[in-house]
Amino acid sequence: MTASLSLGIDIGGTFTDLVLLDPSDGRAVIWKESTTPDEPARGAMVGVERLLAKAGVAASRVGRVVHATTLFTNALIERKGAPTGLLTTAGFADVLEIARERKYELYDLFLEMPRPLVPRPWRREAPERLGPDGTVEKALDVAATLEEVAGLVAQGVTSLGICFLHAYANPVHERQAAEAIARRFPQLSLSLSSEIAPEIREYPRTVTTVANAYVRPLAETYLKRLETELKRVGIGGELFLMLSSGGLTHVAEAKRAPVQLLESGPAAGALAGAWFGRHAGLERVLAFDMGGTTAKLALVDGGEPLVAWGFEAARTKRFLRGSGLPIQIATVELIEIGAGGGSIARRSDLGTLHVGPESAGAQPGPVSYGRGGTEPTVTDADLALGYLNGDFFLGGAMRIDTATARAALARLADRIELDQPRAAFGVHDVVNENMAGAARVAIAERGRVPQDYALLATGGAAPVHAWQVGTKLGIGRVVCPPGAGVGSTIGMLMAPARVDRVASFNQALAHTDWAEVERVLAALQADAEQVVRASGADLAQRRLRKLADMRYVGQGSEITVALPEPLSAEGVLEAFETAYRRLFGRTPPGAAVQFVALRLSVAAPMPGAGSALRLETHAAEAALKGRRPVYFPEEGGTLETPVYDRYALPAGAQLDGPAVFEENESTFVVGPGARISVLRDLSILAERTA
Amino acid sequence: MRDAPRTFDSVLLELIWTRLISIVDEAAAALVRTSFSTIVRESHDFACVLTDARGHSLVQATDGVPSFLCTVPRTIGHFLQEFPPETLEEGDVLITNDIWLGTGHLPDITVAKPIFLDGRLLGFAGSVAHAPDIGGRIRTAESREVFEEGLQIPVMKVVCGGVMDDTFLRFFRKNTRMPDQTLGDLQAQFTALDLMERRLRGVLTEHGLASLEELADEIHSRSERATRAAIRAVPDGTYHAEVLTDGLEQPIRLQLALRKQGDSIHADYAGTDPQVPRGINVCLAYTLAYTSFAVKAALCPEVPNNEGAFRPISVSAPLGCILNSTPPAAGANRALTGHFIPPMILQALASALPDQVIAGTGSPLWSLNFAGTRPDGTPIANQFFMNGGYGASAGRDGPNVLSWPSNVSAAPVEMIEQGYPFRIRHRRLRKGTGGEGRHRGGTGQEWAFESRSATPVAVTFMAERTKPEAAAPGLAGGRPGTPGAVLIDGVPVDPKRQHILQPGSVVELRTPGGGGHGDPARRAPEWVARDREDGLLKETQP
Repeated sequence: MTASLSLGIDIGGTFTDLVLLDPSDGRAVIWKESTTPDEPARGAMVGVERLLAKAGVAASRVGRVVHATTLFTNALIERKGAPTGLLTTAGFADVLEIARERKYELYDLFLEMPRPLVPRPWRREAPERLGPDGTVEKALDVAATLEEVAGLVAQGVTSLGICFLHAYANPVHERQAAEAIARRFPQLSLSLSSEIAPEIREYPRTVTTVANAYVRPLAETYLKRLETELKRVGIGGELFLMLSSGGLTHVAEAKRAPVQLLESGPAAGALAGAWFGRHAGLERVLAFDMGGTTAKLALVDGGEPLVAWGFEAARTKRFLRGSGLPIQIATVELIEIGAGGGSIARRSDLGTLHVGPESAGAQPGPVSYGRGGTEPTVTDADLALGYLNGDFFLGGAMRIDTATARAALARLADRIELDQPRAAFGVHDVVNENMAGAARVAIAERGRVPQDYALLATGGAAPVHAWQVGTKLGIGRVVCPPGAGVGSTIGMLMAPARVDRVASFNQALAHTDWAEVERVLAALQADAEQVVRASGADLAQRRLRKLADMRYVGQGSEITVALPEPLSAEGVLEAFETAYRRLFGRTPPGAAVQFVALRLSVAAPMPGAGSALRLETHAAEAALKGRRPVYFPEEGGTLETPVYDRYALPAGAQLDGPAVFEENESTFVVGPGARISVLRDLSILAERTA
Repeated sequence: MRDAPRTFDSVLLELIWTRLISIVDEAAAALVRTSFSTIVRESHDFACVLTDARGHSLVQATDGVPSFLCTVPRTIGHFLQEFPPETLEEGDVLITNDIWLGTGHLPDITVAKPIFLDGRLLGFAGSVAHAPDIGGRIRTAESREVFEEGLQIPVMKVVCGGVMDDTFLRFFRKNTRMPDQTLGDLQAQFTALDLMERRLRGVLTEHGLASLEELADEIHSRSERATRAAIRAVPDGTYHAEVLTDGLEQPIRLQLALRKQGDSIHADYAGTDPQVPRGINVCLAYTLAYTSFAVKAALCPEVPNNEGAFRPISVSAPLGCILNSTPPAAGANRALTGHFIPPMILQALASALPDQVIAGTGSPLWSLNFAGTRPDGTPIANQFFMNGGYGASAGRDGPNVLSWPSNVSAAPVEMIEQGYPFRIRHRRLRKGTGGEGRHRGGTGQEWAFESRSATPVAVTFMAERTKPEAAAPGLAGGRPGTPGAVLIDGVPVDPKRQHILQPGSVVELRTPGGGGHGDPARRAPEWVARDREDGLLKETQP
């Protein structure tokens, strides 16, 4: 028997999701295990053994393991990384602390700015200087540098970030310093800005480098441990890590630059959205994931999630732009909103109904959980409206109480001067508006219209809300894939190996040295392909993208443009202007264009990535479970609505809305006037007919 | 479509209000991303506003700086006086940069577009943004009259029924150093107006509303009630504050009597020094904006921005004083005076609300402005911003280097060196500059710019609080922050004047520290130890 199975492990804050997939026939087995935050590998391994037992499969049959984890993000948020030092160009040790000087909220006199990852005594300076074109203006003083580092090591620093001015243009001094330091202090972990994020702008580059240094020792220990444990239970297959970009990489690359893994969990979710969308034949998908505390939206164009070239980690105010640490790493573009099943509904100071971002979380949770929650939440409203079934929550594993939910909503209704049903639907409607509003702006910012997209709902709460969010956005098609509750883990198993690389490139388009462009891209490509090859991916099927960050001379922000083949000034200008017009509606007259950076992205399919998914199904005759009254706003009241066991509906089945589809992890609610079909992979597609 | 009055219940109001906010935010995002002006992009020196047919603001974009609080609706009021509703038609856009009808300095261009639905005036989409260049002298405090500061655009229709006024455009192009970029930014403002118009019509149609009036009344009355409730919590009385700025040869005195009675607040600036023949005078609109900003920040930061929220706040200042200037007073660098208003308001409120205020900040916003020539002889100019330390408060130390009351980032050192003939020798915290106290004020920073230009360059500054009497004051026994300084080749210079920087010369800007809070003797020993470890104490301190 060959080791042909793929195992996915996604360690989240509360649960570790596991999935075992047989790529030859798409059969998948799912397991959920509680996360053990003190030592995440332990809970994961318990889950692995239980999953293998459930599937009745020997460990030796697992050919590869794909892993995503929030461990490194949490280390940043909780400030539990390694004792980290920073070495900068003389005169600039405070760049990390001075930061952007800008408040993320205008009126809060007491707002909390993110604390620098390296305290002042551990930020040291090296005598050296490069000019903006990379020329050495002052040679590196190696002896003085070593003395500074010796001071840090004596104080217990175990990891060091090195970020010199203009190192994106020339890595020479960073490398010289690193070589000398590595000889003298071989145990010290080193992260160089020219290798981690070689992009202009010293503040975000320093932060990214330091963040890498901060989590690197942790990543090395943890990944080594996980590899050992997998071997111990008899899994011989190789371990791959999910990157924030939605690609996979091998362990050595993950240990070198773990800052690439910060958003691995959410990236997997977006990837699942893309994958299910592809199988439903949808080119453009708005992947919508809604859990207990947050909702996440990701745009998928042409079957792949959109990738941004930077994001913010460890925000001090979770949903406020500017309150976190800028990380210059390719990351699946996600819009995060404080809207989930646990979001609390309250009367605002202005007497209107507010929902979220405060959340009752899992503890105490919604009122209906009976764990001490007193303020009504979105889940309570969904229950009162008939969207959820109190007797079949988490497949009946947990009972939730409709009467207490209604009572809490009645109290809220009094405070906002409404009757209880209007208040309950108000909670549902307001949280939907919050999500639709964020989606509207995000889609508009990319120069698109919502009508171009299909909404794809994953996560516990998204299928409950998707139909009506779709109504608000004018989206006509809503899809609920199977296994929505562990969607992100499935996404990982389908992920390609991927590498994104960037090089600074400061030239005016009118005077571009095209041979130099080719040379830079070739160097990036060689480096990227070497990593992809080492992952065991099939380079023959690789997808290569050459991109450039460009702007009009005088502007302060860039847009990323796909470079045409063959390269020419006219072709690049046209690509840039087309992209610019799509985003902004117009191009300014007579302005010159420049390059800021060149980017290259390589993705290649992994052997063992499945092409379809088959979950265990139920007998078709049991499909209709019953009927219950469900509230629909267009009816101004409730309708007796059929309730189906979605795993008993065969592919090809056709129905009309309204209808409710139950599965263990979620409930898909579809309103009147919908045409519903069960697709080949058991995804349910609901289309608006009106 | 329903025309009958309807009531907005707490859910419907929330839904529509959220939508309106997302409309102005979307317009703001579009404006930022298409703008050429560094100051719009990096400093968010703009505003997008939706008003009702009377010009009363309904929502203002979340992003932005305080200078534009209340100004756009006020300017639309002036538009309406000159162009009453019956003279407006679909596709019109009104414009002005008049400093007394607008925001207090010429680069800010306010535009507004009347929005119609089925032939009926619904309201206005308004926007103000800082233009890349408006002609006149390069941003300096040295102008003696507004006429030296650039092109003045009267209240007029720049677009008439969808047709752009070509004569205006030709005049405008001729009067700016950067016609493409400045007109490009004006286009970006029009784009934002169109977007607001389209979205607003969509929302009203979706909800079956034929006018904004009742919605506006609901938004205004609820916001006004919330502000009044917050004001009511302040004990009745008159609270005084007085500050000195560096001023010119002599310091300038600003005087405030903040009268709080019942549920309203009036800021009276009687006793403030007269306007001066330099570009640091403040128009009443700017005084009102920064007064409203400070009152809101101290009392009710959560109340949304709209007409109603600011109704309970009023301002008066003697005509012709430096906070209520009259023509032809110059005002290009009004921030050098106006940024003292919010700290003064907080200082006045400190005795009544000791836990809701902060000590003086190392504001105003500082900058280095330079103009020179490239090796090929073409002109090159830019303005680089920087900020001082933040004020301490009852609960904590002031953060080091944070923009307040404005909200402007500094440009990255690498971007400056790549685009301009400077080497930055250092950019670092300026140790020992936060005012001592039980809680320490935030430290300022210091930059050293070495000129690499082959020819001399002209430099001017925005710099204040460089004299001891203008230092950021402490609160509750805390000490003032250290004043700032501007030096050329190690020698302190007058920052209100233009200087010529020779090749190889170094200009240093040292921004002021924030004020401390509470008795320094009561500072916890472990905090003192941490400051020592951080190397942030003055060298002379033990």
